[in-house]
Amino acid sequence: MKKIFVLFLAVLMIVSSLAACGQSSNSTSSNTSTAGTATGAKALDGEKPELKYLGYNVSFDPNTDGMAKIYEEKTGYKVKYNVLPAENADEKLLMEVASGADYDVIQVSVSQFQTLLSQGALKPLSDLLNQHGQDVLKGVNEDSWKACSGPDGKIYGIPYKYPYPTEVTTFMVARMDLMKAAGINELPKTIDEFYNTLVTLKKFYGDKYIIFTGPFRAASEASVNWDIPQSITSAFGIYNDWMVDENGKVYYMTEHKNFSKMIEFMQKLSNEGLIDRDWAVNNTTTVNEKLSAGKAIIAASNRVGVAVTTPIMTGKDGLGLKNEDLGYIGALAGSDGTCKYMKTEAINQVTCILKSSKNAEHVIKWINIKQQNQLYLNIGVEGTHFTYDTDGSIKPINPIFAEERGNSYWYLNSTNEEEFAKQWPSRVRKSDAMWAAFDAVTNKANKETPNIFVDNTFAFMPSLENYSKYNQSLFKATSDFTLQLIGGTKKIGDLKTFQSDWTNSGGEKIRTEMQNWYNEFYGKK
Amino acid sequence: MFMKKKKTGTPLEASEKVMIVISYIIMSILALCAILPILHVLSKSFSSASAVTSGSVLFWPVDIQFETMKYVLKETTFLHSLKNTIIVTVLGTIISMVVTITTAYPLSKPSFKGRKVFIMLYIISMVFFGGIIPAYMVVRTLGIIDTFAALILPFFIVHFNMFIVKNYFEGLPESIEESAKIDGASDTRILISIVCPMSTPVLATVAMLYAVNYWNNYFHAVMYTNSTEMQTLQLFTYNTISNTQTIVERLVAGNYSNVSIDGIVSAVVVLSLIPIVALYPLVQRYMVQGITIGSVKG
Repeated sequence: MKKIFVLFLAVLMIVSSLAACGQSSNSTSSNTSTAGTATGAKALDGEKPELKYLGYNVSFDPNTDGMAKIYEEKTGYKVKYNVLPAENADEKLLMEVASGADYDVIQVSVSQFQTLLSQGALKPLSDLLNQHGQDVLKGVNEDSWKACSGPDGKIYGIPYKYPYPTEVTTFMVARMDLMKAAGINELPKTIDEFYNTLVTLKKFYGDKYIIFTGPFRAASEASVNWDIPQSITSAFGIYNDWMVDENGKVYYMTEHKNFSKMIEFMQKLSNEGLIDRDWAVNNTTTVNEKLSAGKAIIAASNRVGVAVTTPIMTGKDGLGLKNEDLGYIGALAGSDGTCKYMKTEAINQVTCILKSSKNAEHVIKWINIKQQNQLYLNIGVEGTHFTYDTDGSIKPINPIFAEERGNSYWYLNSTNEEEFAKQWPSRVRKSDAMWAAFDAVTNKANKETPNIFVDNTFAFMPSLENYSKYNQSLFKATSDFTLQLIGGTKKIGDLKTFQSDWTNSGGEKIRTEMQNWYNEFYGKK
Repeated sequence: MFMKKKKTGTPLEASEKVMIVISYIIMSILALCAILPILHVLSKSFSSASAVTSGSVLFWPVDIQFETMKYVLKETTFLHSLKNTIIVTVLGTIISMVVTITTAYPLSKPSFKGRKVFIMLYIISMVFFGGIIPAYMVVRTLGIIDTFAALILPFFIVHFNMFIVKNYFEGLPESIEESAKIDGASDTRILISIVCPMSTPVLATVAMLYAVNYWNNYFHAVMYTNSTEMQTLQLFTYNTISNTQTIVERLVAGNYSNVSIDGIVSAVVVLSLIPIVALYPLVQRYMVQGITIGSVKG
């Protein structure tokens, strides 16, 4: 018996040694103390500590990627990067924090930030930013800071805003070779021209091609998957699920005066066989397939979509098209000239420091150094990684730019928002396909019709209780209803019943909540 | 071929023949249902980007290429994740077996004082789980977060497996052990030299159950690891499938013009299947035993 006990002890020892041999070099701290850093200035001239970082999930190893070394060389700080899982990220984060995580700095989503803030897990950053982060303070605009502040007015997070506010994120790709053969030489700019284009193509090609395929249901920065492409909704003045009228009243897209007209337009396209029969079941992959296989003439897409389809359509193994055989249709204008497209200025990520962090000052200093070197770290060296175009815009030198700065976006915590908006488009240029679409749609809109961009009123809205609880299911219900309307299984007269269901399923609760936030944030009564 | 005469010599009746034909048809359909998706995924992983993206790949590769496999093996952390999973599976299975055997053996002896109390404790902890957060806090307090130990310790001993082994040990003839004792063998010697060799079938089955548990373990990898360095194969596969946008960015950045996202996802699935498919014929016997072993008399 004794020997069995000895054997058991031996096994326990094996396990202990296994634990000791593990990867975590910093496993000693399960300290939940909030006294990790003293307030007030502290000399940071000594040795720079290794920082422990937690970021969102990514498909490459941020520790071994070339960017880690570049950041380390420039900032002088060695950083151990960790990532949240792709699934159950919220649960994992909360569990780690609740059990005394020892990260020095974490980058989380806005809703995760709000949760951590409400639980009192975050360190206020106002004083630290004043002492060590002057560049960070200056680079971020007031509204962004306001969105990352607590009820006490102190800053608790450093926002990373979507870098380019006036981007037409979703658009349509058109086969110009087929359009020209049908006698259409110009891309449509208005909803009426678009309809006429589809009709002409249908008359010319009959059922040989799918005239217009979509929708492009892909996760995007706008966070919603529209069943009617935003290039079309823009013509009806609908630019978001929630909008605010001129009197400051919050309303839902189904309440928009043009919602019925928009549905009727889509029904007309469906009845006349101008849109894909599989419209209700299409997804990103099937739309990409139909476009790149040469089955569709016009397809809904986005920047990532064209990065997939264009190389195939223009490749010798694919359709063998030339670049000029592809056209891009951006936000269409309505019959009355209406065209509204929402700005993409939401906060993507928030960097914050847990109360248990022992290196808060160093973290702020590290982020500040990164921001001081924003151009070098994200775009590179002039002449090596990029050159300036004649119009002053940055043109990357490929492939070195893509190879040496391709993954820099993951390492960003804060930017000089104004400067970065000018620098960021160069990152789109790492792919010719992405740039062709960006130039034809976004740059064109900014030059010719900059007034189409509407402010994202709720860009800085925190995670509200009812919004988090009901909005996703309401959006899904609206999408289903929209598809039923387009398919003809529901009639526009059913909108009243839908609206009533919507109200009872949390819609009204969200509206009240959003209205209160809107009034408070924008100082309205 | 399958409609042979019965062994007794009486020919099959018409209704029996019909049933056999129907059974074969159903089994063939089911087999196809299992094989065709694998063939589809396999074909996609070896087809050109244009063929995959334009949806022209079905059950045979179109424009065969190996760039996708090269990408997964060279540009991703697949091999590292595979290595992690193999370490966890091999080390975990060995440790679990040692712990399970050394726990089951004394508990199988009626002479062991306090046996019922220990068994009751095991049963209680088998039925009532403390919850995810307490489990996480235990792992964290032990200081093993983001280590191999965190992936092995929670499966250290699976009660069910331990009881299977205990029941088997109880069924062994006591007389053999007694004669060994008369010859002067210690308890440890009896366990190692007599009991274990006599229990090979159950030990092999339980080892396989442990190995499958460790190999498929996804939840613990999500909860107890943070770094990409410690990523297991299951976690890597999930992350690859859910991070397609990042993959597009990487394809654009690299020189992989003939590689598509769907191709990469397919290649990851195929590569992660290979070890299991290679081992399955060897362990199939124990897999079948594993299904029925719970019915061993207690």
